[in-house]
Amino acid sequence: MSSALEARLRKLFKAPRKGESFELRTGLVSQYAYERKDAIQRVIAAMTVGKDVSALFPDVLKNIATHDIEQKKLVYLYLMNYAKTNPELCILAVNTFVQDTEDPNPLVRALAIRTMGCIRVDKMVDYMDIPLKRTLKDDNPYVRKTGAICVAKLFDLNPEMCVEQGFLQALQDLVADPNPMVVANAVSALAEIQESDPSTQCFQITSKVLKKLLLALNECTEWGRVTILSALSEYESVDQAEAHHIIERVVPQLQHVNTAVVLAGIKTVISHIEKLSSTEYEMYLKKLSSPLVALMSTSPEAQYVGIRNIRVILEKYPQLLSRELRVFYVKYSDPLYLKLEKLEIMVRLANDKNAPLLLSELKEYAMEVDADLVKRAVSAIAQVAIKLPDHAMKAVELLNFLVNQRGDYVVAEAVKVFRDLLRRYKTTEYVDAIVPVVSANWESLDDAEATAAYIWILGEYPQKFTRLDRHLQKLAEGFLEETSVVQLATLNAIVKTNLRAPTANSGNYLQSILNCATSDVENADVRDKAYLYWRLLSSDSGLAAKVLLNTELPPIPSTIALFTPALLAELVSELGTLASVYHKPSYTFTSLIAKAKILRADNIEEIERLAKREIVANAKSENLLDFGDDEEIAAPVASSLDELSDVFGSSSQAPLANSDILGLFGSSGVDSGMNSQAADI
Amino acid sequence: MGQIVSSFTGIFSKLWGIDREIRILILGLDGAGKTTILYRLQMGEVVKTKPTIGFNVETLKYKNLTLNIWDLGGQTSIRPYWRCYYANTAAVIFVVDSTDKDRIETAAKELHLMLREEELLDSALLVFANKQDQPGAMTAAEVSQALSLTDLKDRSWSIVASSAIKGEGLSEGLDWLMDVIKEEQL
Repeated sequence: MSSALEARLRKLFKAPRKGESFELRTGLVSQYAYERKDAIQRVIAAMTVGKDVSALFPDVLKNIATHDIEQKKLVYLYLMNYAKTNPELCILAVNTFVQDTEDPNPLVRALAIRTMGCIRVDKMVDYMDIPLKRTLKDDNPYVRKTGAICVAKLFDLNPEMCVEQGFLQALQDLVADPNPMVVANAVSALAEIQESDPSTQCFQITSKVLKKLLLALNECTEWGRVTILSALSEYESVDQAEAHHIIERVVPQLQHVNTAVVLAGIKTVISHIEKLSSTEYEMYLKKLSSPLVALMSTSPEAQYVGIRNIRVILEKYPQLLSRELRVFYVKYSDPLYLKLEKLEIMVRLANDKNAPLLLSELKEYAMEVDADLVKRAVSAIAQVAIKLPDHAMKAVELLNFLVNQRGDYVVAEAVKVFRDLLRRYKTTEYVDAIVPVVSANWESLDDAEATAAYIWILGEYPQKFTRLDRHLQKLAEGFLEETSVVQLATLNAIVKTNLRAPTANSGNYLQSILNCATSDVENADVRDKAYLYWRLLSSDSGLAAKVLLNTELPPIPSTIALFTPALLAELVSELGTLASVYHKPSYTFTSLIAKAKILRADNIEEIERLAKREIVANAKSENLLDFGDDEEIAAPVASSLDELSDVFGSSSQAPLANSDILGLFGSSGVDSGMNSQAADI
Repeated sequence: MGQIVSSFTGIFSKLWGIDREIRILILGLDGAGKTTILYRLQMGEVVKTKPTIGFNVETLKYKNLTLNIWDLGGQTSIRPYWRCYYANTAAVIFVVDSTDKDRIETAAKELHLMLREEELLDSALLVFANKQDQPGAMTAAEVSQALSLTDLKDRSWSIVASSAIKGEGLSEGLDWLMDVIKEEQL
């Protein structure tokens, strides 16, 4: 008994341990239930502000078995967060998880299976099958729907087990569940599994499944609707009647408050609408416009998402919103990104009927203070002018007005678009309206592209410029300081001017520019072009005139950017996703990560193989010098190979060499790096 | 205000030891009957059990004491984690399958390994020589010999022959444990 007393005394005199972590630990193993709960709350608080409390894992874990659902939730939350840091200890929670999936309270059952799925530790997977099977057959729909998502999580960790245990089949059965929420989650899980591994073929919509989905559509939550609608949009309807049936059921969804549901609904309608007869086609297409208009009465961020999607839809069905121009008018309070995007839509909606209104609206924007908006408005005016010949003259007058009213950057932007306008409309009426304005304002241009545009106009219509010599002189003097874009334009212009309207000094300017371009300019394109012109002019000026002046430039029908047909088809099928906001197909930004992973794994194997070969070669060459017999050769090769596998195998053996090799993975010079590496070993 | 009141009640209950839970661990090799004993004690009936991956914990009132009884899984893979549960433990109940003569040595090894832990120096030890209902079961004395319990110094210990299925020996053992705990630790 005396030594027991001694032990107690020792405990008493032991240096008091302090610190938050110690306090929490004592709290967690306290003999009082309320102290334990308090400690858990404090641990979670520390976790949520970003402190690392993973060291308390075993002690928190002890509190998992409790009837207090609040405490259980907290411990589960902790587990989800830190399971990765203590993968072996997670096994201690298995018993409680399994028991909780049999709890009378459905919330606890669902919570347990959800947490089990979120603990992405291999050991946990081995124990998941029985509880998961049980939850998929649970009486309570909330538990079943949670279980459905868990199957997708399990598939990600261990696809073979998922197939062997029949979880995919169970999930397919859930699509026929009486509860719409369960159907939605099962569909979403199946869709995800199908996407991650198309070979499973787990999600095939048959006519029976289709009926189920359409039934569930009206009753499930908004996000469930998005899932089901996306699944429907990927389904290919067999005939006109079926397509009509699907669309009929989907159209009410377009009234939903959630814009994601609306966009998914539109995507579904578009994917089936081609199958309809032409009268039905027209009727349903018309029904798409009012939900799209409704998208514009949401918050700016949602409007932006909506408007990016509208741009894709408009390109597929240009006539869709032709009466709705007003909706896209820029509001004073809109953020800039939205304003610019609205202008994109406005120019696409321009037609002969709304053009006067549109132009006056654009004029308003061009008189604003925000430079980006003003520039975009100026180019929008030109886009409208190029699109609608009947209103082009009005637009040009408007541009001239703007150039006179506003200075600097408006002029630069206007000169750029004047070039495009002159390529579209070549009649003297337009030339007379545009060229004098350019001629009067050329000195204020400082932007390279605008300068290039002005020089192009100068080369095309030299007769219309007053005091042409001054322009040419300026060009010749400033030639060396300009960017290559301007230099190329200058070469063109000076040659054409000499052919079209030679003045007293123009020949001199031509000569000095050609000299300059061939002897002083570094840019190869500029030099080569100068040489070409020079040869052409020196051989036969008549030929030069024929080649340069008598060839017509192809007219430009529109300056509104379009998607390529392939991209458009891709984007239409991905409406309402990030792809349609980025205007890039989803594989360009999602599969990259997956690809990078595979690539890295390949790299390691490749490097390992190279290293082995290198060492074998080195060992052999050393031994060649020895002239020893064959048996001796094998030994050193084998030993260096052993060392190599140590390096790749465990980090404790040769930490230094290992880190060297890891460093190599990033670099492309594998071969050269490997030589030095082999030498180190 | 509510918080102040609750913290006062906390202090008082601490002073008088109200609400205090006494931690008891049930350990032993896998298949010894630990979970069956736990639920026999708690509910008084035999439940169908599966191998415990992890632990079970139940609270029960026994003779005015609140017992917090932890039943830890006995599989080889889980045994290393027993140590996580040693802190603040008043007593250890070590369960032995009396019919499993092949593994009695392993049980002895695990027992002595565990008792050497500093955190368990003050804990009382109760050994259940379980499965007495089965034919060929060793007697309590034989088990005691095999576990070399007599070597234990400075520790209150006892061995009781028991059958969890029939409910024999459990309350005797627990009664003894309560007496020791009351005497030594309260």
